[in-house]
Amino acid sequence: MNLFEKIFNYRMMAQLDEHGALAVTAQERRWLLMMLEHPDASSAIEPETLDRLRQCLCGSDEPSSGHFRTIIIEKAGSTVSSLYHPLMGTLRRMIVKKSGMQLLYTRKDGTLLPRQAGVPYKLEYSMVKKEWYLLWYNRRTRSLMTTRLRSIRLVEDMPVSEEFFNQAAAALASQLEKRTQHATIEIIPAYNRELSRILYALSCFDKQVQYDEPADTYAIKLTFLGDETEYVLSKLRFLGLRVRVTDHSYMKYRLREAAQKSLARYGYAPSAIETAQHNNGIMPAEAE
Amino acid sequence: MAKESFDKEIQFLRMLVLTSGAYNRQQFADRLGISVHTFDKTIRRLKDIAGTVQQQAAEEQNKAITDMLRTSYYESADPLLLFLFRSKSLKESESYRLSLLIAALQEQSLTSLELLELCSEGMPEELALPDEKTIRSDLKYLEQAGVIRRVPGGRPQKYTAHNDFVSMLSDDELSDLYAFVDVMANTQVPSVQGYLLRDSLKKAMKRRHLPDGASDLFLYKYHYHSRILDEAHLYTIMQAIEARRRLTFHYFTPKSNRSYQSKNTNPMFAKQSEGRLTEILPLKVAYDHQYGRWYLLGHSSGRSGVAIFRMEGITQLEESGLVSEDEYVTQLAALERNTRYSWLVDMGRPVAVKVRFFNPEGGNRNFIKDRVQLQGQWGVITEEDEISFLFEITVNGTQEIKPWLRSFGSSCEVLEPGSLRREFIKEWKELAAYYEPVRENLQLPDDGTA
Repeated sequence: MNLFEKIFNYRMMAQLDEHGALAVTAQERRWLLMMLEHPDASSAIEPETLDRLRQCLCGSDEPSSGHFRTIIIEKAGSTVSSLYHPLMGTLRRMIVKKSGMQLLYTRKDGTLLPRQAGVPYKLEYSMVKKEWYLLWYNRRTRSLMTTRLRSIRLVEDMPVSEEFFNQAAAALASQLEKRTQHATIEIIPAYNRELSRILYALSCFDKQVQYDEPADTYAIKLTFLGDETEYVLSKLRFLGLRVRVTDHSYMKYRLREAAQKSLARYGYAPSAIETAQHNNGIMPAEAE
Repeated sequence: MAKESFDKEIQFLRMLVLTSGAYNRQQFADRLGISVHTFDKTIRRLKDIAGTVQQQAAEEQNKAITDMLRTSYYESADPLLLFLFRSKSLKESESYRLSLLIAALQEQSLTSLELLELCSEGMPEELALPDEKTIRSDLKYLEQAGVIRRVPGGRPQKYTAHNDFVSMLSDDELSDLYAFVDVMANTQVPSVQGYLLRDSLKKAMKRRHLPDGASDLFLYKYHYHSRILDEAHLYTIMQAIEARRRLTFHYFTPKSNRSYQSKNTNPMFAKQSEGRLTEILPLKVAYDHQYGRWYLLGHSSGRSGVAIFRMEGITQLEESGLVSEDEYVTQLAALERNTRYSWLVDMGRPVAVKVRFFNPEGGNRNFIKDRVQLQGQWGVITEEDEISFLFEITVNGTQEIKPWLRSFGSSCEVLEPGSLRREFIKEWKELAAYYEPVRENLQLPDDGTA
């Protein structure tokens, strides 16, 4: 098995495309067969289809000699209760059909909200929280909503014009754009030898790196959505002394607060806490 | 013919993705140990591939490749880095011929002679006409790759495309399968074959005029894209493990030597001459979700016996000698024993870590506990009251779990071991100093720092 097959070559791909031809290799089919063993396959695919697929794939290739799955160990992952949510199929079909919807869901505090009308936009999976979210357009507030699939009690089709659907989608795209924030993270030069680790840890964000050769200093400009700030902060605490935020007042304030509150836990407090309180009045005004 | 190596492309792309525009051409080339000319040539080639794969408009193609990699971050579940696996060199005549053959076999079965005829008619004039021998060897290749299969029955032998599992599906079933492959490729490891399959299914849907494949319905947040590059070596390693063979490779440690002030020594991409020739018995590969990195774990005949390598540092990977099943089983058992308590891959002495997590104040949902339960691996919550809970875990050394604990900020207090507790106090003090307001220094000119 080799991932660098002639058949995957980019010119091949373009030409096959021109001919409208499909070329699937044995290794892709083996991968699929392996994934169909996942307990959630039955939530994603109809049982009868799943059976036919398995039969077809099992019979068609040399059985894979390897138990490749047992060779791989995954570390520091999260326990996943379920990868597929029963509503995913319904919502996916609604988005594809450009349908509107009526939504009944509970808020974070558990209260059930009255029925909302809107337009489904995208399904988003957080690799960190291991959770599916529906991004949708709330017709009443005309704003972008993010709702956990787990919190949705009921969703029903509600026809809307294609024009309305497209307008809603465009409005959401621009609202997402407006939520974008930037923060510049400087790598403390003493930790340059850990550059690889730091960049890997931040590689899950949209980032641009600047290198100042004379000073041998790296500055990383992160771009993220406002509601991701908490996650960015946890990554920065994860990296600890290696990095420092240089330009985002709110994040600087939060990191300072985290350090001071932590010290208080360990019994190192008074002066630090005082400073924190002293600044508490100032920071919010500076915060973006 | 010498085996085509993609080490240069892999290192090149990894550096592009990780350092996203940090270096100019000269700096980049220096760090990879290549010339600026080679740098330019490689960039041109990568852009050519990326442009073809993504079918971008001409203006898009003029974008810097780093920008192309950047924009693929969130909006698209289609990883641009996949183009690495589309870079195997192929003669134009060959790609044309192979695609003609595959296209001809889509909905019918044909013999090699029939295919020769079809090919001869279909080839553009400027390309050489194939002979029977070439067609036979093409068919052999396609059959080995599993793209076509032999049709049972008498002679002459007939072939057909190996797409039954797609063609037998109804439109709805195909859409469901596509969504499934999309989710699995994006959330599971390994992923590359899944992404390749996803591309093919997308085309199958396009042929049937199904709208699903047209846009990305799913978004995936916080992806480690560079993991895709690490998968390049995965199958060679897994095959060697299956075959009980050793592996040799040149290893570039991502950590620098002590002289990190030296400007030319980039810790990530040391020059080739600095690679260390290594031979090990491969036993496992590990995927680290914290950094999105792959590791190769094995046994080396060196002092410690235990060998851990980051996938990103491995180049010129090759299989070598066989080992006995006994030796393999013994070493695997030893490795499993040693990694049982590894937070990631540390094989140091097991330490009992005890921490207190504090519940969020006034929150409705205990997101601290949720996160500890989600990510705390084999650790257990031993005591609980209204404001906090105790978490205990035995890990090999404290180095690897430390960043995770620190990421909880003041919601986590380390109780044991004492050494880790002291380290946390020291680090929080230094971190507090990072964010001391400048104002304070101005107010206190006497402390010597102003």
